[in-house]
Amino acid sequence: MLRIKGGKVYDPKNGVDGVVRDVCISGGKVVADVDGGRVIDGTGLIVFPGGVDVHTHVAGAALNFARGLIPEQHRNAHPIVRDHIRRAGIVGATPTTFATGYVYAGMGWTTVNEAAVPVLSAKHTHEELRDTPMVDKTCCVLMANNEMMLDLLEAGDHERARQVLAWHVWAAKAYGVKCVNPGGVEAWKFGKDAKQLHEPVPGYKTLTPADIVSGMARACDELRLPHAVHLHCNNLGAPGNVSTTLDTMKALEGHRAHLAHLQYHAYGGDDWATFRSESAKIAEAFNANTNLTCDAGAVLFGTTVTITADGPWQHLLYQLTGKKWGNLDVENETGCGVVPYVYKEKNIVNAVQWAVGLELMLLIDDPWRVSLTTDHPNGAPFWRYPEILHLLMNADFRKEQIARLPEKARSRIILDQLTREYTLGEIAILCSAGPARALGLEHKGHLGVGADADVAVYHAEQDITKMFSHPRYVIKGGEVVVEEGELRQSVEGHALAVKPSYDPQVEEFIRPLFQQYYTMSFENYPVTPDRVHGLQVNELSN
Amino acid sequence: MKNRADLIIYWGGNPAECHPRHFTKYTIMQKGRYIPNGRKGRTMVLVDIRETPSAKAADVFLQVRPGKDFEVLTALRAVVKGQRVDAASVADTGLSLEQLTDLANRMKACRFGVLFFGMGLSMTRGKHMNSAAALTLAAELNAFTKFVAMPMRGHGNVTGADVIMRYTTAYPFGVNLSRGYPRFNPGEFSTIDLLVRGDNDATLVLGADPGATMPQPAIRHLANTPTIVLDPKVTHTSRLAKVHITTAATGITAPGTVYRMDEIPLPLRPPLTGPYPTDEEVMRRIREAVQRKEQVAA
Repeated sequence: MLRIKGGKVYDPKNGVDGVVRDVCISGGKVVADVDGGRVIDGTGLIVFPGGVDVHTHVAGAALNFARGLIPEQHRNAHPIVRDHIRRAGIVGATPTTFATGYVYAGMGWTTVNEAAVPVLSAKHTHEELRDTPMVDKTCCVLMANNEMMLDLLEAGDHERARQVLAWHVWAAKAYGVKCVNPGGVEAWKFGKDAKQLHEPVPGYKTLTPADIVSGMARACDELRLPHAVHLHCNNLGAPGNVSTTLDTMKALEGHRAHLAHLQYHAYGGDDWATFRSESAKIAEAFNANTNLTCDAGAVLFGTTVTITADGPWQHLLYQLTGKKWGNLDVENETGCGVVPYVYKEKNIVNAVQWAVGLELMLLIDDPWRVSLTTDHPNGAPFWRYPEILHLLMNADFRKEQIARLPEKARSRIILDQLTREYTLGEIAILCSAGPARALGLEHKGHLGVGADADVAVYHAEQDITKMFSHPRYVIKGGEVVVEEGELRQSVEGHALAVKPSYDPQVEEFIRPLFQQYYTMSFENYPVTPDRVHGLQVNELSN
Repeated sequence: MKNRADLIIYWGGNPAECHPRHFTKYTIMQKGRYIPNGRKGRTMVLVDIRETPSAKAADVFLQVRPGKDFEVLTALRAVVKGQRVDAASVADTGLSLEQLTDLANRMKACRFGVLFFGMGLSMTRGKHMNSAAALTLAAELNAFTKFVAMPMRGHGNVTGADVIMRYTTAYPFGVNLSRGYPRFNPGEFSTIDLLVRGDNDATLVLGADPGATMPQPAIRHLANTPTIVLDPKVTHTSRLAKVHITTAATGITAPGTVYRMDEIPLPLRPPLTGPYPTDEEVMRRIREAVQRKEQVAA
């Protein structure tokens, strides 16, 4: 039992905005009151529900491939020295699994959504997540370039497509469905892309990316998945891609969708020389489409590594940077590319990208529908989130940073015109309550009775970066894991998965196709429940 | 590659004898979604220093002079990009400029090309520079068509060890944890170098037989210092070890996971039961015993 006494509580879901009150915890849950137990003096402290990361890449074959590609970055990264609590590790752009858990919790984040998991290597992803302590974990399975799905969508057999989708979600022990560059990753297997939303995907007669987007969104809605289709739109990163993103919003036909890393999809201009921000157009359309949620995918200047299932984009980035490039094609379902990258303040494109991420968070008027992410590690490593909060909460600080950008970049952004400053209550929505709602995690992101006892307690400081980097206390599942800014114990998190409702007979449709086109036994394909550590299943009914 | 590869190149390897299921399960013999005619729809090229049994399976066999792979790869990169290449300097590699031009044309004209490279490339003169040249060639070919490259690995579940080292320490091998955090320096911390220099005073060998493959000075050091081997069977290493703990054979009497060369994990289901403990159980018991000893000492 635990009582956090007299802290200033921010619990937006329950309408609590900076009210001094107690938070009581028992049995890993928030309760109305406790009699006895430990008391933490919260006087003068700020109490938030634990952070929720709606889109991050912390585990899996692609990230692990990236780890292998950048030993020179690890050498300069922060090492974690083994002690009686912690396992050894390396932080940097691609933290090792144990380090990932320590660093997230050390910052007050207690739930993460690994946003890209192929079924074929899902067993591996779950092995890594098992070794990621301190946080609860969900993951999204990659389905928008799965040939079985695409064939069904082209044939117009939506009923079976939904069944096949449901089967794959459960086979991967996933929580949601991810669509990356619909059709484009499939086309990349012959070195092509799918940049036009309404033109057939190379290799298909009639199927367009727009068909895939609407088909997948509809199926996710019909399956009543708690998290909407998690969509990485076509044409990521390209100048002028604003039109593709706006078209995608229309193609959804009112279905729910979560638009991932929206920053990378909000650019104007005709080429790199005329590259500019179109965040105003995107935000306007987004504000009007209440079926949508999104995350920022913000960029910070510095060294990182980009990892995405968007293979064709990564090949372009390799040609642009002339740096290392790794490509993985995952049989008949997806692919991935890895390119180390440095975002430079003096580079006009990078400067615009930096501004667009912030502009979107400031222009989207409903903080419940936008979440803080950097598409870790693509825009910046997740442990730099506090720097972004600083920029959002302090317009003067923002102005100072804008002044450092090249003149040419400043003329292509609108960030200098935005005076909005996030309040603490809005930050609690952006980092916790909002992403928990977007994911459909009812027990996360709030401090009402019955919520999971994941709490972050900060000491109010002038320096916002410092404040959010070093919480005074972090409580995970009712256990005090961080105290006086130090890690006190390592706890295991849960793996949260959904089991959508489907007809088991669909397996007889999948099996022969699988045996014809894949290279392993069908029986070895799904992840068996015993391989997923701390599995908690949400069984859905139709 | 099963569904798409119409050009398959094996370089410095002998899959017919070393990876006997590779042809039939993954590459040339398979029918695929975009290769409906199987073998007839694919071209196989073998590049090696001698005519191994794999050459029988190849449509084109290119015999390189030993130690000249790096030169061939570099010349190929130039030919692919249409740069001028001196025929006389190519001749020194054992191949002619015509042969290289033909190969370059095949690579650029295919729809999906794959280059498998074996230890005949990665462990001969030039070593990692050869691998880098092969990978760069494959990367650059993507300006013309789709091309991928992959190492042909050996030694059981070496890929699995590599994968787990990466997610726990950030590095694939050659990791030193003596300072309490991972440091990586191949050539300094890699196994052969440690053993040859005699830096370590004890060795634990898990799922490997260095006594069969490593250089003599390394093997001598294993014999002269306490070496502990966990292995289901008697090996060269277990014969020179101070302690050999017999463990269950993974996949036969113990469950486990093995990683394919493309880092896809496969679960192993044992058909038999046996009396021996698994590697994992032995390691856990050793750790517990060490912890008890530390507590007593404290």
